[in-house]
Amino acid sequence: MNGQRVLTLMRREARATLRDPFTVGMLVAVPLAALLVFGFTISADVKGLVLGIHDASQTPSSRRLLADIEANGQFKPRRFADRSAIERALVGGQISAAVIIPPSFDRALRDAPGTAAAEVQVLYDGAETTTAGNAEAFLRGMIGASIASLTARGGAPQPGAAPPRGVAVVSRVLFNPTLDGTPYMVAGTFGFVLTFLTTLITAVSIVNERLQGTFEQLQVTPATSLEIFLGKVLPLGGVFAVDVGLMVLAAGVIMGAWPNGSIPFFIAVSSFYVLTSLALGLVISATSSSPAEAVQKTVLTSIPLVQLSGFAFPIRNMPLPVQWVAEIFPATHYIRVSRAIYLRGEGPLELLPELAMLLVFGLLLMGVALRSMEARA
Amino acid sequence: MSRRAATGSPAHFLSNIGAVAYKEASAMRHDRAFIAAVFLQPVMTLLLFGLALSNKPANVPWAVLDQSQTSASRRFVEAVQSTGYFLAPQAIASYDAGRALLKRGHAVAVVIIPPEFRRAMARDRAEVQTLLDGTDPVTAARVGGYISLVGATFDVTRDAPSAIPLAPLELRQGFLFNPRLRDREFFLAALAGILLTNLCLSATSLGIVGERESGTYEHMLSSPTTPIEIVLGKLTPYVAISFAVLLLAVVSAGLCFDVWPRGSWLALVLVTLPFVLGSLSIGVFVSTVSRTSAQAVFISVFFILPSFVLSGSMIPFQLMPPGIREIGYLLPLRWYQVASRRIIERGAGFSDVLIPFLAMWVFFGIMLLLIRWLMKPRLA
Repeated sequence: MNGQRVLTLMRREARATLRDPFTVGMLVAVPLAALLVFGFTISADVKGLVLGIHDASQTPSSRRLLADIEANGQFKPRRFADRSAIERALVGGQISAAVIIPPSFDRALRDAPGTAAAEVQVLYDGAETTTAGNAEAFLRGMIGASIASLTARGGAPQPGAAPPRGVAVVSRVLFNPTLDGTPYMVAGTFGFVLTFLTTLITAVSIVNERLQGTFEQLQVTPATSLEIFLGKVLPLGGVFAVDVGLMVLAAGVIMGAWPNGSIPFFIAVSSFYVLTSLALGLVISATSSSPAEAVQKTVLTSIPLVQLSGFAFPIRNMPLPVQWVAEIFPATHYIRVSRAIYLRGEGPLELLPELAMLLVFGLLLMGVALRSMEARA
Repeated sequence: MSRRAATGSPAHFLSNIGAVAYKEASAMRHDRAFIAAVFLQPVMTLLLFGLALSNKPANVPWAVLDQSQTSASRRFVEAVQSTGYFLAPQAIASYDAGRALLKRGHAVAVVIIPPEFRRAMARDRAEVQTLLDGTDPVTAARVGGYISLVGATFDVTRDAPSAIPLAPLELRQGFLFNPRLRDREFFLAALAGILLTNLCLSATSLGIVGERESGTYEHMLSSPTTPIEIVLGKLTPYVAISFAVLLLAVVSAGLCFDVWPRGSWLALVLVTLPFVLGSLSIGVFVSTVSRTSAQAVFISVFFILPSFVLSGSMIPFQLMPPGIREIGYLLPLRWYQVASRRIIERGAGFSDVLIPFLAMWVFFGIMLLLIRWLMKPRLA
């Protein structure tokens, strides 16, 4: 291997990449857009959801229960005159959940314990599963607490003197007390961008070079495949490393999501992971005959890679065989590391097993990429 | 036949479109990569949506610091376990051990049962503390909700007979349209929309720029067809394929996962037409503004992916912050997923999806005008 030759190749590659305004534009625009789109879209709360309300009881206790729900301020309550109107609104998607208080509510509340229980009906729009799940986690506890205060000892409403029923669960949220979805998604977005954009840009640029014949010209020079490989991968890796720094800055400045861990460590890990994606791009380019085909192949491989990597849906929610598949994707391990650094501020020592996995996958893929280049030569 | 006559009458307009459509369809038949993508993507997406992805917590690792060590505290732990969302609890000896587990991501929740738990029950002051890992807020909120619910419905009188029994409340709740609240239904109802966006955009974004690159576009322009006839003709075969993909998506979701449309099939077919035309027109638009086919695919890919999110196909749009939520209404996929969820999951008829239907036609009209305006200078 000749260091001078690799350097020349690297200079050529860097110049070729940065000369194309379109590629540079993608390098800046895609990460920014991905951060903004993904960073703001996942949410655990129910703020602003429209809650249909039908009060068939119309008694002081039913009004107090509804006032409690309204006072909470999370839902946007909307009154309905009858049950069928609520059902129509659910079909049309105008409301996400509904609370229905039957006429017998007050009577049952005042009756002695042991007789008919007071009943409250809650309907959720199960078509939007996440919304319904969030609303359930929220509404059930709230209604339970409100009823408990209504039925304080003796059954008559006694504001203020309400003893807790059952077991009170005092929750404290660590690391992200406001349950803000942004840092979680920002840390995942690095995985998305570095898996997808890097693979795509590499695959397309090399297919284009093949079509124009410049790649073959390189192969007839005295440079070895390893030198060409390094001459391609290192400058592209450098460009993407700068891109990672840009993303860290953008996420921090625009969205207030700075890593809790060390920034240099994060950039170092990310830069290594970029090389893995580049290698995948090289493999795809070796098997494609046109840029369009390369893009289609990248999309086909990257979509499951990103979806199964835990980017938007936690891996532990998946069935066991799918979890095993997810474990063999480098993206899975990178996103884990990225979240550990961003959210929990972990360092290299704690992350050693994951880092080792990344290293193994990275070297393996680079080996395959090198072989695929030789095979085409 | 003079050029004027060939471009004038409606009959010629249609036969010109037909000729371009025929040419496009025969070119498509030989594109093996395209055909593979058309059939591979539905299968892959169906499996991902049907089997893999879910927001509902499962296999949640958790730990218990049981300082009470009574039958009451053990019953509480069992009650949490029996909700079915959790793995077997890890017993820990100290608060710091719990924090360490959370920090390493080895537990999502740590339940701390204080020493006076059993005695406090008799005084109606029983309390447990929960520490949650908030890094994944959706999971944290749900898991916290499940544990709180166990507490709220915990029968304290079994361990402390003097305690006040639970409020005689029956909270009857139901999830309409999806009683078991499976994410599968949510994803599969949007399957057709996602597949069609992918298909329409990636196919047509290459169309015009590709023809321009290979020089065949100039051939067509020199023939007596107008640009808009070329565009419509090129789109026609894709409309046919799109309906085949719609059928494939709906029937395979039904056969594999028993998610059949509950509403009107006719309504589903009707709303699909403006959606397909709208998505195709985005592809054509991308194709007219790109200089190379590589650029065209780039632009379309990076239009497709955010649109999956912003439209609410993958993540419910109701939970997005105001501002972001409204951006989605500029996408035909938003309107289509709203309509298809109403039809497939909630059993709606055509009158329930009239607004999305019209909105998508308006979108297509605007795009068509835009494309016509963009293509004009090249003709002059």
